[in-house]
Amino acid sequence: MSESELGRKWDRCMADAVVKIGTGFGLGLVFSLTFFKRRMWPLAFGSGMGLGMAYSNCQHDFQAPYLLHGKYVKEQEQ
Amino acid sequence: MVPRVWSLMRFLIKGSVAGGAVYLVYDQELLGPSDKSQAVLQRAEEVVPPAMYQLSQYVCEQTGLKMPQLPAPPKLNFHFRDTWNSGILTVMSALSVAPSKAREYSRDGWEYLKERIK
Repeated sequence: MSESELGRKWDRCMADAVVKIGTGFGLGLVFSLTFFKRRMWPLAFGSGMGLGMAYSNCQHDFQAPYLLHGKYVKEQEQ
Repeated sequence: MVPRVWSLMRFLIKGSVAGGAVYLVYDQELLGPSDKSQAVLQRAEEVVPPAMYQLSQYVCEQTGLKMPQLPAPPKLNFHFRDTWNSGILTVMSALSVAPSKAREYSRDGWEYLKERIK
């Protein structure tokens, strides 16, 4: 992986993390205000979900060149 | 009868707000792949500053307030990655020549002392 490609992947990871954590926080805020009587836990839950999804995406993005994609081939009975 | 209708209305309003938020997230693919999130962020960076500027202009016009003109922020032309890389290269090359340089300087110092003692 070249350095420019690595830099692009990091940029994508950071942008993805910002968007996902913000979205999770926003959804948690909406649900906290509408259904959960302004409690704090939906915000923490939403932010944590967004952070986890962003981490998973980043991990997949960085491991992508080394992931082997295989498929099962059934043996033909002769 | 009326309180029940009112509580039902309240539930429907809250449900529609929450459902609308969820649909917005699904429609804009905010929780999708990372390249879509990056595109959304870039779109937001293009749209939000002009919208904020227009809003501030509208508020100034309606209220009659005058927003003070802030000076432009200084543009930094500092390339952190290049300076860091060149710093690392300088440090590593200095470390690699350090033993030979130390030997050379100590030999020169010893020669100088021998000359002075004579």
